[in-house]
Amino acid sequence: MASQPRVTLGALFYAFLKVSLLASGGGIVWAHRITVDQRRWLSDTEFTDIVGICQFMPGPNVVGIAVCAGAKLRGLAGAAAATAGFILIPGIVGFLLGELLFRHTDARMLQNALIGISAAAAGMMIATGLRLLRANRRWLSALPFAALAFAGIAVGHFPLLAVLLVLAPLSIAIAAFTGVRFR
Amino acid sequence: MNDPSSLGRLAAHLALLSSISFGGVPTVLPDIHAFVVTNGWLTDREFTDFLAVSQAIPGPNMILMMSFIGWKVAGLPGAIASACATFAPPCAMYFMAYRLWDRFRDAPWQKLVRAGLAPLTAGLVIAGGTVVAHAADVSWPAVAVTATAAGLLMFTRLNPLWVLGSAGIFGALGLL
Repeated sequence: MASQPRVTLGALFYAFLKVSLLASGGGIVWAHRITVDQRRWLSDTEFTDIVGICQFMPGPNVVGIAVCAGAKLRGLAGAAAATAGFILIPGIVGFLLGELLFRHTDARMLQNALIGISAAAAGMMIATGLRLLRANRRWLSALPFAALAFAGIAVGHFPLLAVLLVLAPLSIAIAAFTGVRFR
Repeated sequence: MNDPSSLGRLAAHLALLSSISFGGVPTVLPDIHAFVVTNGWLTDREFTDFLAVSQAIPGPNMILMMSFIGWKVAGLPGAIASACATFAPPCAMYFMAYRLWDRFRDAPWQKLVRAGLAPLTAGLVIAGGTVVAHAADVSWPAVAVTATAAGLLMFTRLNPLWVLGSAGIFGALGLL
């Protein structure tokens, strides 16, 4: 990977600090915007790889993007820097802010503002998913499985792991089959 | 209730749950809720308040949520221990999984796995968005906000902060 410019640990810390602070509702939107669109640290394929790996793992998946992107660019130190950027400062600031807010959780205006923000965040998350799909070179053949995964969660309300364990082997098998046929 | 043994039990329970929280921490929230309420550490009301506030604050929401719980149970050490129990085990797993994936970067099977997984990932992200939309879209104007936000992110290079900010103002004005 000699062609890859060396990213400093500070840059990783700062980038994921930004992702974390901006990410109310959907961290994946900002992770994609910053690591793929702006910094060009990752290609769309690499980003999709990372999100795919994180879906299979437990825990807060957006932190997983920080760990994997950091690991890809700078190994263990990079993973630690990106994760620290994501958690450390936002965690402390958020904790103090929370202490203040607990006296005002009934405030009508705050709750209404939150509804607006999450409505917009939902739309942006949908758009990020659509963009990942569009970035797929064989998006037409990707469509049925994207639709099945979507339906499994959004319509069927099945657990994520169940959806993955049923669809992933099928989808991989079909990719293998069509890949062999078209070669 | 500054009791070291409660702190140990809480941290151990959180570490266990975060290690099996496939699909994100929200999937184990009901279990955490039952655990802290039956132990008498939090009331129902406190739990929902913690959740609402941790969602409102930018940053790692679920880690914050657990640190509020830890703080209630055992003060500052509780907050720190709970936060670590929530992110450390999954982070170790993410790192090892990525290392494994990267080691086989040139293996032919990885192309197939990638081709198979990429559509699922896109579908799951879209589903995640619609699940949030389902909870947030309490009215037709809110649905319009979701649709507009999606369109703007798809087709323009507008900074999403403007979109989030205006949506927040619409909401605060009571328009949604």
